Amino acid sequence: MNTHELFQRRDFLKLSAAGLLSGVSVPWFESMANAAGQVQRPRGKKCILLWMDGGPSQAHTFDPKPGGEFKSLPTTVPGIHVTEKFPKLAQCMKDMAFLRSMTTEINDHYDAKYYLHTGFRRVTNLEHPSIGSIASAFVGLPNDDMPAFVTIDAGNDKGNGGRFYRSVPAYLGPRHAPLAVQHPARGLENLKPDTRGLDRRLQLLGKGEERFAREYNLPVVNAKQAAFQRAVNLMHSPRARAFNLDNEPAAIREQYGEHRFGKSCLLARRLIESGVSFVEIFHRGWDDHEGAGMRIAARAPWMDGAMSTLILDLKQRGMLDDVLIVWMGEFGRTPGDGNGHFCRAWTSMMAGGGINTGQAVGATNENGKNPGDTITRRPITAPDFMATLCTILGIDPHQELMASGGRPMPLVDKKAKVVTELIA
Amino acid sequence: MKHLLNIPTKWGMGLLAILAVLPGLAAEETVKSPLLERDVLPILQKNCMGCHGGLKQKRELDLRTLPAMLKGGKGGPAVVAGKPEESALWQSIAEDEMPKGKPPLSKKDKDVLKDWISAGLPTLAHLLKKYEKPLLPAGEKHEPGVVADAVDGHVSGQMANRGLKAAAVAGDAEFLRRLYLDLNGRVPTPEQAAAFLDSSEPDKRAKLIDELLAAPEFGVHFGRTWREWICPPELPSDMNSGRQPVQQSRDLGKWLARQFNENATWDKLVRDILTVKGEIKNQPQLIFYGLVGQNAQATPSGSTRAIGSLFMGVQLQCAQCHDDPFRDWAQNEFWGLAGFFNSMTGNFSKVQSREVPGEMSIPKSAFFNAGTRVPVGFLHGTKPDAKRKTDWRGVFVDWLTRRENPFFARAFANRLWFQLFTRGIVHPVNDMRALNPPTHPGLLNLLTNEFAASGFDVKHLLRCICNSQTYQRTSRGTVARQQELFGRAPMRVMTADMLLESLKIAYGDPKLDLRTHAKDDGNTNGESAAVGDEYMEFHRRFGTNEEDATDFTHGIPQMLTFINHPRLRQGGRFLEDWLKKNPDIKPETMIERLYLGTLSRRPGTEELAEAVAYTAACEEPKQAYTDVLWMLVNRSEYLFVR
Repeated sequence: MNTHELFQRRDFLKLSAAGLLSGVSVPWFESMANAAGQVQRPRGKKCILLWMDGGPSQAHTFDPKPGGEFKSLPTTVPGIHVTEKFPKLAQCMKDMAFLRSMTTEINDHYDAKYYLHTGFRRVTNLEHPSIGSIASAFVGLPNDDMPAFVTIDAGNDKGNGGRFYRSVPAYLGPRHAPLAVQHPARGLENLKPDTRGLDRRLQLLGKGEERFAREYNLPVVNAKQAAFQRAVNLMHSPRARAFNLDNEPAAIREQYGEHRFGKSCLLARRLIESGVSFVEIFHRGWDDHEGAGMRIAARAPWMDGAMSTLILDLKQRGMLDDVLIVWMGEFGRTPGDGNGHFCRAWTSMMAGGGINTGQAVGATNENGKNPGDTITRRPITAPDFMATLCTILGIDPHQELMASGGRPMPLVDKKAKVVTELIA
Repeated sequence: MKHLLNIPTKWGMGLLAILAVLPGLAAEETVKSPLLERDVLPILQKNCMGCHGGLKQKRELDLRTLPAMLKGGKGGPAVVAGKPEESALWQSIAEDEMPKGKPPLSKKDKDVLKDWISAGLPTLAHLLKKYEKPLLPAGEKHEPGVVADAVDGHVSGQMANRGLKAAAVAGDAEFLRRLYLDLNGRVPTPEQAAAFLDSSEPDKRAKLIDELLAAPEFGVHFGRTWREWICPPELPSDMNSGRQPVQQSRDLGKWLARQFNENATWDKLVRDILTVKGEIKNQPQLIFYGLVGQNAQATPSGSTRAIGSLFMGVQLQCAQCHDDPFRDWAQNEFWGLAGFFNSMTGNFSKVQSREVPGEMSIPKSAFFNAGTRVPVGFLHGTKPDAKRKTDWRGVFVDWLTRRENPFFARAFANRLWFQLFTRGIVHPVNDMRALNPPTHPGLLNLLTNEFAASGFDVKHLLRCICNSQTYQRTSRGTVARQQELFGRAPMRVMTADMLLESLKIAYGDPKLDLRTHAKDDGNTNGESAAVGDEYMEFHRRFGTNEEDATDFTHGIPQMLTFINHPRLRQGGRFLEDWLKKNPDIKPETMIERLYLGTLSRRPGTEELAEAVAYTAACEEPKQAYTDVLWMLVNRSEYLFVR
């Protein structure tokens, strides 16, 4: 897949004119700036993945059980309940769907993170691309000003939860690696130019670059110059303002919440709005071995507030049908107190995305010795989940790709079955 | 981002439908009729070998090799030279009787198969035969210059056969920078660059090669390179209480550096890795087995795959679960090799021998034949003396490192060539097999023989190659075939290591740190950490395509780092020092030094004039030169090995 993308080589001299800062009006730049300001329609749907690293307890969130630590709360959809800690999300139920019958086979953090990000079990010495990189390759727009795949570090409230999984593009090629935002309030690193003499510096650079490109008219040189040009475009693009939360009205910032998770959700919305295809927000520390009750009671207010605001905000902007929100971790937790890892029966959530919302797909037992420890309806495996996610985003899960060494790899395991109940 | 070792273990699916692509053969473009390796095999692999290959041999037919095709199955010979009508292959596809349960072959594919049979079954291997004869007598070591001449003769001959001419020999500056990056992993300092460019000694290139092979940075660079081939900086194993053995893996790199610097022969170095036992203290190479194993434990299959890829140049992964559908090795051969590494247990901290019979039971994870007991055996070779041994690894290494071993010297020579030219003579470098022939058979034989005859002397082989005109050619030119046939140097993207070391030179700062996150963003032991130390962060950001160094993979974040990173916008103290020491220094002199420390050459007339004009318009000299430095590291020329 690492084929050279042959960029159209642009006249490098124009680069220097990108220094709008000098106040010089250059006709070509005006037109480019306009084009850059427009958000092109992607090839499929966009996605915000809210990754609860460590494994959130389903019993304390979206699959309440009789006798559980938290009371159950009715939602706007009759028959579907969440725990009492999520009153705002309960009001959004018509735009959400629960997948209450997630069942995977891996109880180790890292392998499970890998499994749920790629749809494949981890093996030695072959890497599979993560869902964000897949979306970058198949939904993202090639050579757009905005990167296709961004990760946002929403921080952690505990240090455990096993080794951190880092999204890799594997055989899709390094250009589908994520652009990492280390802190939502700081935005994209190195985006803000040092304006001192920038225009003059770019002019000085442009002269040498032009000569070099003439002397070495090779794909690799053209690709470098095109990438440089894209970075300069982004620096000057009105769309780059998406990375700066200060540009958002205070009222909206407040609704999302003045905490790192809320800021991350707000940044995700801004990025999606400005052309990013896939945003993964990770929040670490959900490995609640000392009992999920107290921990989730503390996290629920900000999670409830930020997630419900995200859904409503996207809806208000008419974007919700084109943006899928996914909430999940690498597994669930033991029914009851949520102390242990539990991969046999757990819950994930999807919202928006133009899917059939207002339903709970699959179910776990309500009664018996240990309510919630057994799936009673429609098990969903990790490959099923991945095939469903791809299908919703408009990516054919059954296509075959070429991994390195000429190995054909199906994008998703061939045995995977799409959860058709979700597909509108 | 390891790629050379991309070898999967078990697959839940899809193996039967494998299509292998033939890696870019330098096919004989003069031959108009179809060729087995180039034209026919891809069709057979896609449509036929699922049932008539290594996995299954329905009606006793195996299409993996030409002899097997000639032998045929129950339906008679699959192919009869010159006679499609008598060939079972053609009979069964002509009327779409085959492939069963799949779409019929296209007219184009059918024509290829028919024309190939009619033309008398021509193969690329046969066409290349004429290039195979030894260029120098095998079994003896030669002077580097003699070998270099033979390399050049062979490469030029191959070019001429195709009506092409090799590119000119590179100028001193181009050669200087390339050689420093290839042998020492960094650009020269301004002083080193000026000294070489100003020297008028006729043999200054040969002298520089010797000098750089003797520099400590040679070992450091080769140690890092091999460390990454064994295992990337981002380590895969997480079962070590959630920690990655980052430090141990770096220690392995340092150990390798010492071996390369002492010019430990390749057989000794490999023996020291493969026969290691005891505790990791004082023997950092012990981490090898844990790194290539699974879940921080050495595994016989992991060891076999890694050793196959790194030290033998072969891909064995398919044969782990079943006979290889396309390569003619059987599942038995994989497990026969794995048996040698069944005689040890190991993890990140120790390796112990254990007494086992000379056999291995195929584990449950394989698709086929689980539970079958396979005696230890060499790949395509004889069986070892099957007496009970406590550690079979030594027996394996004895076989591997014999001079006449068909894999060992060849795999190293080919990989070294790949490192310098971005393409192996057999490509990919870990896929040596009959149906993936070398582009330059004589060249590969020459280097293999020379390496073996020198007693696996790594520096000697490098000296031979670097002294050749082939290595010293310019990268200027656009004819792709010229580069594929090694008649022109490739334009490569610097690896992360080369780039980091070179930026340290440009900024005169051995501790250059390009991290941008706050220090409190995470811990560095790899556990639950989103960030790592500056080395890992730099690698994540500036990692390149290890399979193809001519593939430019950087994007917006990398370019933004170059354009706006605060550290790269500061010239650093060295500029102040220069200015302080030479208050009357002329702008021309300063600019020249900046060019030498970045692009390893002096500025051209236009370049100098532009930079002088730029600095003249600046009020503050230090800022002016900082800007020029910024401009130079942002040049495309800077990021490339040209």
